[in-house]
Amino acid sequence: MIRTEDLTKRFNGTLAVDDLTLEVRQGEVFGFLGPNGAGKTTTVRVLAALIAPTAGRAWVNGYRVGREDDAVRASVGILTETPGLYPRLDAEQNLRLFAKLYGVDDVGSQVKKYLTMLGLWERRDEPVGGFSKGMRQKLAIARALLHEPPVLFLDEPTAALDPEAARVVRDFIEELSGQGRTIFICTHNLDEADRLCDRIGVIKQRLIRVDAPEALRRGLYGQSVLIQLQEVTPTLVAAVEALPFVKSVAQVDGCLRVALDDPEAQNPAVVRALVEAGGAVQFVEKEEHSLEQVYFDLMGGS
Amino acid sequence: MNGGRIWAIVEKEWLDMRKNKMVVIMMALLPVLMVGLILGSTFFMQRAPEEELNLNTGSQPFSLPPELAALGAKDGFIALMNDQYMFYLLLIPMALPVYVAAYSIIGEKETRSLEPLLATPISTAELLVGKTIAAVTPAVILAWFSFALVAAGMAFIASPAVFAQLVRPVWTLGMLLLSPLFALLSTSCGVIASSRLNDPRAAQQVTAIFVVPVIGASIAVLAGKIFLNVQVLLWTTAVVALVNLGVLWVAVRLFQRETILTRWK
Repeated sequence: MIRTEDLTKRFNGTLAVDDLTLEVRQGEVFGFLGPNGAGKTTTVRVLAALIAPTAGRAWVNGYRVGREDDAVRASVGILTETPGLYPRLDAEQNLRLFAKLYGVDDVGSQVKKYLTMLGLWERRDEPVGGFSKGMRQKLAIARALLHEPPVLFLDEPTAALDPEAARVVRDFIEELSGQGRTIFICTHNLDEADRLCDRIGVIKQRLIRVDAPEALRRGLYGQSVLIQLQEVTPTLVAAVEALPFVKSVAQVDGCLRVALDDPEAQNPAVVRALVEAGGAVQFVEKEEHSLEQVYFDLMGGS
Repeated sequence: MNGGRIWAIVEKEWLDMRKNKMVVIMMALLPVLMVGLILGSTFFMQRAPEEELNLNTGSQPFSLPPELAALGAKDGFIALMNDQYMFYLLLIPMALPVYVAAYSIIGEKETRSLEPLLATPISTAELLVGKTIAAVTPAVILAWFSFALVAAGMAFIASPAVFAQLVRPVWTLGMLLLSPLFALLSTSCGVIASSRLNDPRAAQQVTAIFVVPVIGASIAVLAGKIFLNVQVLLWTTAVVALVNLGVLWVAVRLFQRETILTRWK
């Protein structure tokens, strides 16, 4: 649905996106993570045929970016970093303009559908300038969906929203992801990416890693359990290390961190070895790594 | 070119314009003042004693152009003044669209609405044509309407000779041909200035450059250096049309999607 090959974008010699090769499948929710200036927005602008790539190739919904730009634009919806609405026009007028520009057949019913879906129908004739940030963001999402695009780009969809508004927007994105659309989200919100995205790409000009959130964690840290003991002694550490399936053992804050391939199957043997070596096991828990930790470790190593 | 998309932009601009009180007031103010000034001054001049308007006296006598001398000192002078005023009426289509053009493009910068707009299948040409039609049309209509009001008023307050001078083909044609060209010129300048500037006021000031030749021409007429006839008018129209083409070419070249999206902050 979205494919890039060695996509590169420079602005007057400044490298914004470097050699990006990526494939996003139909119906997938893809998260694009990276610090400010990493090239996320530039990538979206290139893929939405707003700016031309300097080198490389890209296809969106089967159309070649740079050669079939009109078709690319007609088949994508985009939520830009700022909602970019016309404050003096009311909600309905804002949407009607874009429905006409996208060539929507039944402008009235399509506008009503999305205003209703996003809970804005009752306030359709109010100037958008008086709307809260959350309402403006919802309206901007509605605008991106009016022409029922198979590909949706969302650039920081919940940035600057209060938790309640952010939740409404997130829930709506979850709802959309169930409709078979390909959704490409640029975000700084790692929890959001973790919750919403099937796969995540981490970018800092170059693409650092792409995988499902869980696979990213496993790839970096493997799977480990934390075992809290009354007292950690060298004997106990040696007893665990002696087990053939244990990949590593480390002492962390009065606990043993044991890396395993299959914790559910191997934990009983680890506990048994500790008890037989005289250890008093208090708790055993699976160690969780947040996506934030994954992100910072990837960024640190890039 | 897709007419539906162009019309959607025109509709949006007019809707936005109607809701922007500042633009509406600025657009209404100039024609009202101009029409009031022309009709008011003609009314009082027409009722003044003949000797007060006879400037062909004193140490530096002022002589009317031969074409107006036949009207007599008073009517000739009023007709000469009306020729001046007609130049000012031509400033209406020049001054008004720049308010709309500057706001309609710089306004997009301020609301950050240009990126979603350019993300639609609209082409740069369609967008600029839509914005230009939206800016030019009301200015031209207001200019024509002002001329029609002045002409209608003159029929009642001016002498038949003065009225005939005002509605002679040179001004009727001038209003018909030059108003759209001046409005287009002004709008293209607004587009150029807005593509490079962030302040609508600065964009408006750039257009002031084009007011200078019009004022210059009016002074030349007052000084008797030029008497406008249809031939002079048609040459002027051709020159303004050529200038328009040049300015329009620059405007389209400067209005680049990528530059605007990445450099407008």
